Amino acid sequence: MNMTIPPRKEVITDIKNHGGLVAAVLPIHYSRALLRAFSIYPVEVWGPPKVDVSLGGAHLQAYICSIVHNGLSFLKMGGLNIADLILIPHTCDSLQGLTSVLIDLIQPEQVIIPLYLPRGQREEDVAFLVDEFRSLYTRFSDLTGKHPTSKDLLTAIKREEMSDLLLTKLYKNRQQVGLSNIDFYRLVRSREYLPAEHFSTLAEKTLQAATEPRPGIPIILSGILPEPMEVLTMIDKMSGLIVADDLACCGRRLYAPGTSPDPFRRMAERIVYAPPDPTRGNSIEERLKYLTEMAQNSGAQGVIFYEVKFCEPELFDLPSLRAGLKEQGLASIIIEVDINNSLPRQVATRIGAFLEMLDS
Amino acid sequence: MGVTDSLKYYWNVKVVGEPFLQWQRWQAERHPKTPSRWRTDILSPPLRIGAKTKELISRHYLEGRYANGHRPVAWVTSGGPVEILQALGFYVLYPENHGALCGVRKAVVEISGEAENAGYSTDICSYARTDIGSMLSGKTPVGRLPKPDLLLACTNICQTVLHWYRVLAKHFKVPLILIDTPFVYSEASDHALEYVKKQLENSIPISEQVAGQTLDYRRLKEIIQLSKDAAELWLEIIGRGRHHPAPISVFDQFIHMAPIVEMRGKKETVDFYAALLKELDENIDKGIGAVRNERKRLLWDNLPIWYRLRYFAEYLAEHGISVVASTYTNAWGELAPLMNKEKPLESMAKTYTYPILNQGTKYKLDTMKRMVEEFELDGVILHSDRSCKPYSIGQIDQRNKLIQEYGIPALLLEADHDDPRAYAEEQVASRLASFVEMLDN
Ligand code: SF4
Ligand code: SF4
Repeated sequence: MNMTIPPRKEVITDIKNHGGLVAAVLPIHYSRALLRAFSIYPVEVWGPPKVDVSLGGAHLQAYICSIVHNGLSFLKMGGLNIADLILIPHTCDSLQGLTSVLIDLIQPEQVIIPLYLPRGQREEDVAFLVDEFRSLYTRFSDLTGKHPTSKDLLTAIKREEMSDLLLTKLYKNRQQVGLSNIDFYRLVRSREYLPAEHFSTLAEKTLQAATEPRPGIPIILSGILPEPMEVLTMIDKMSGLIVADDLACCGRRLYAPGTSPDPFRRMAERIVYAPPDPTRGNSIEERLKYLTEMAQNSGAQGVIFYEVKFCEPELFDLPSLRAGLKEQGLASIIIEVDINNSLPRQVATRIGAFLEMLDS
Repeated sequence: MGVTDSLKYYWNVKVVGEPFLQWQRWQAERHPKTPSRWRTDILSPPLRIGAKTKELISRHYLEGRYANGHRPVAWVTSGGPVEILQALGFYVLYPENHGALCGVRKAVVEISGEAENAGYSTDICSYARTDIGSMLSGKTPVGRLPKPDLLLACTNICQTVLHWYRVLAKHFKVPLILIDTPFVYSEASDHALEYVKKQLENSIPISEQVAGQTLDYRRLKEIIQLSKDAAELWLEIIGRGRHHPAPISVFDQFIHMAPIVEMRGKKETVDFYAALLKELDENIDKGIGAVRNERKRLLWDNLPIWYRLRYFAEYLAEHGISVVASTYTNAWGELAPLMNKEKPLESMAKTYTYPILNQGTKYKLDTMKRMVEEFELDGVILHSDRSCKPYSIGQIDQRNKLIQEYGIPALLLEADHDDPRAYAEEQVASRLASFVEMLDN
């Protein structure tokens, strides 16, 4: 299927030409709707890969993950100059540290806005996040001079919910939409910078083009993000078929539509009750159950834990998850990468061997 | 709780263990080991209180060894709010302290290896790895650790602890209380403090259920006061480092800080620190410094390198350098003024939201600068701790600012607080030598 996804630069220029503001947003969870209600367009920064890491290395130790290193390097090389503000959710110790280093020590031109995400799924966690969003509202009001009403907020929320529903539908029908692994993730990850309405149009078009399911060895991809993206082409070439994922940038952000009439509560609940994620404190048992059901529903035979080196939130869970999956007859492997490097040959060999093992 | 277990506890701890440890202390006090294992030609003889420290720590682990079945046991993160659990009669174990002890006894490689063999990456915090290794294998230099009935993880030192305690919760199948403390970039918001207070409130029924008793608020207030008293004394002890020569070095502080971490809220901890303070004051009067020929004074930032305490103490003392203050040991005292027994939960919420590790890099830089001025220091050693990202991020800029903006000599040393495999002996030695030479010029 032919699919044209507008490139990030073009989208940002378009936003700017129409008087919108751009927020560079670091991983993982935040409310797109809250930004959009102020005509601030979120453009996410996951790394990006292949930048001059010596720039970040002047401030960060080598044992900090490449997402944080690259994010800072990208900022230092001017890659975020176009952004009017930088929003950094409190995802892990490393992003917390980066936020603090930026605010206190590096002090770039853009406003740095932290967002603390609660680590539980209790009522007090929802209440806290509601208050966090309210205080963000005040900050955005101060920045833009705008005061969106509850109705405006709900309109923005529903637009995002629609887009997320279509994203979820794409996930459910991923084998019928005729996309290779790499094309599927190019489309899904365009949600990282496309305004919801544009993404929805793309998703709808893709969903209309139903074809025969693609053949391949069914697997789940878990971890933070599929970077460098060559890994997806490689899996395609090796006849691997990613039938579901538990990736922080993708499947862990399939937010269900909210129900509350209060916009702040609705935004908070969507995040607090999102699919299990270690960075939001879900238990290992919840993650295991989620992965096992995902495998049952998708027919996956194995899981590739595709991890960013030094990512503690991911590393702690792996032994328990792998043991639990093994009990269910599901094989798994761990691949660790630095997103700034090209894929080492060894990764191809290991993934190839894993797929072969599943196939036999 | 079982009668047999209680009998075992009383026999082993009260009848045999405690008197034996007391006797051991008396012996050590009467006949101090001469010569000390540490070089006394350049360092003053160890503080007399050392025998009491040893007794307290040994007794703490001895009590733990026989606690299961006799009292409820909680495992708690080092910065965690412990007062409610103390008031409910829990025996409280701090796995990080146990990790530090494993570091000092050079047992980390073996115990952490057990976790690594089970698939835990060497890129996770070495305290966590050591604890998980001990959990999986039962290995520990203290005989035996009690199994927890309850876990409490407080994110005021790092998010790592939550990931780690989720592993423990799955393994031990016991409730995990989370006290999530939003990071303080400049000042904690009202809703953040309210959030912490609410979690403390909600932790009470869970803890009560595990303990099988109701919280006595009068007892809680007493414990908060005792915690505050101990923390205030600790702060005074650290403050004595302002004297020239300093009567206590950070290497002594690292050793004597165990009670303030794992025995807060106890009368004997207050008495212990009062005795330590008295000893320091006597030494000040006699002009005794921790380093015999103190010529230069330094600040230590971040966790200690537990398996090389002696090396650092002796190498620096050889050059007449005393490391007299540390942001790390200071953290256990600086929040004392925030505790208020009349507002137990409210003041606990504030106290436990504001540790240095839950505050921004500027706060840490300002603390270093303040300490350099107040303690009249000549430089700073920043230990870049591979395991502890939250403490270490920012140190490169902090070092640069100390040097360039404040004219304070500063050295960044790469190591790991617990895992000697991440410690490059020669590299550290040569960087330290250049730094010492530079200080002399
Ligand atoms: S990869 Fe892991 S450690 Fe790095 S920013 Fe993401 S969650 Fe944090
Ligand atoms: S990461 Fe740092 S603060 Fe957290 S447990 Fe490890 S040493 Fe302690």
